[in-house]
Amino acid sequence: MNDIVPITPWGLAAGYLLLLLPLAILLHQRVPILRQSALAVVRMTVQLLFVGLYLQVVFRWNNPWLNLAWLLVMISVADGSIVRGCKLRARRFAAPVALALLAGTAIPVLVFIGPILHRPNWLDAQYVIPIGGMILGNCLRADIIGLRTFYESIAKGEKAYSQSLAQGARLHEAIRPYFRDALEAALLPTVASMATIGLVALPGMMTGTILAGAPPFTAVKYQIAIMIAIFSGTSVTVFLAIWLTARGSFNAHGILDRTIFRK
Amino acid sequence: MSENNPAIDIENLGVAYDGRWVLRGFSLRVARGEKVTLTGPSGVGKSTVLRCVLGLVVPQEGEVRVLGRTVDGRSVWEVRKDLAYVAQEPDLGPGTAREVIERPFSYRANAHLRANIERIGEWFERFRLPPDLLDKDMGTLSGGEKQRVALVSVMLLDRPILLLDEASSALDPANKQTVTDALRSARDLTVLSVSHDVEWRALSNRTIELAPTARTPENEA
Repeated sequence: MNDIVPITPWGLAAGYLLLLLPLAILLHQRVPILRQSALAVVRMTVQLLFVGLYLQVVFRWNNPWLNLAWLLVMISVADGSIVRGCKLRARRFAAPVALALLAGTAIPVLVFIGPILHRPNWLDAQYVIPIGGMILGNCLRADIIGLRTFYESIAKGEKAYSQSLAQGARLHEAIRPYFRDALEAALLPTVASMATIGLVALPGMMTGTILAGAPPFTAVKYQIAIMIAIFSGTSVTVFLAIWLTARGSFNAHGILDRTIFRK
Repeated sequence: MSENNPAIDIENLGVAYDGRWVLRGFSLRVARGEKVTLTGPSGVGKSTVLRCVLGLVVPQEGEVRVLGRTVDGRSVWEVRKDLAYVAQEPDLGPGTAREVIERPFSYRANAHLRANIERIGEWFERFRLPPDLLDKDMGTLSGGEKQRVALVSVMLLDRPILLLDEASSALDPANKQTVTDALRSARDLTVLSVSHDVEWRALSNRTIELAPTARTPENEA
């Protein structure tokens, strides 16, 4: 197998020419997302170039502490975007959600790099950053779905919820059906993608591994490992995000405190 | 908990939503076995009274005692074991009638009552509900059927105190009669209800009219 072929600046420029096709279609059909699309392309380019530059440094130094710091920065960015995405108050949710993200990312990453890949250095940039990033991205999406489903369904179904309290349910019994629904909603996308993987499209990590020059069977094993890591990471993070935040989100009488939502 | 404590003792209750008082200076004592109906125009806080007794609304002023225990964040979980509640247009959660009736028995507080589930059929017959309705989804039931399913659910929970919020509003006269007869015959049962029905008031020992001007109805009488 060949090693990966680098893309020259001219080669990348040729890639940008492909943008003429969507540009022509958007203009021809007057689809009103021209500005938005242009901005997105610019943002993508700038963000990725910055990340690339930064990662070059991180990879060159390959200092475990720096790698860990990078992961923690990614976790806090994800944390902020979950709390904002769920319209929840940062002061009460940022810390427990960060803890949930940390656990949901760290546990599968450590298993991946340790028992699965047998890397001597568990914080090796080449592994911890891409694998951690993939798991964290999925944790982010799952936490948004899980937390939103949980708190919004209790707020909307307040009548049925308070009925269960009136019937003698303790807090953990009253929230159980909402907790279950939230976990289901958050984990279903991962379950569905595991079920159809390989049939519809070649998954991301497998594609990357093949492009990097690995034999397809190695790529497949990587893909299986990452899917399991994502599934376990998302279930841990959603469970913890709800469990850790629920304690502070209900009053002593078991009623949902509506001040948790940002107006 | 002395036997002489009233079933419900409400003292100087004040509840405000968004800075506006919906109820203020309200006091009421309901003896054990007594059937009391609250009435009055909408928005005077009748439902709020029931919800304060259940600890679903935390009052800004005053206090509620149930069988001698002050309802607060610590006691409310025990207090609710003595109460059963039918909300206005009850929502018992998703599932079939059987599932929603059986659900409360999965809570630890009701574990000792599990044998009562066997009496579903008996109460269905009493409240004139067809047995095949048990396996229908709650979403497909009419308002009157939902109310009677909610009433069956509270009767099976075997609580000493019932809090009923317009629990007969969707019932036809014959069913209303059946339900009030069943409640009247339970002599030890304390019932605090909210209702506009004249037939329903016939069930009660006392009817209390709540007025929008937040006075204390008992002092008025």
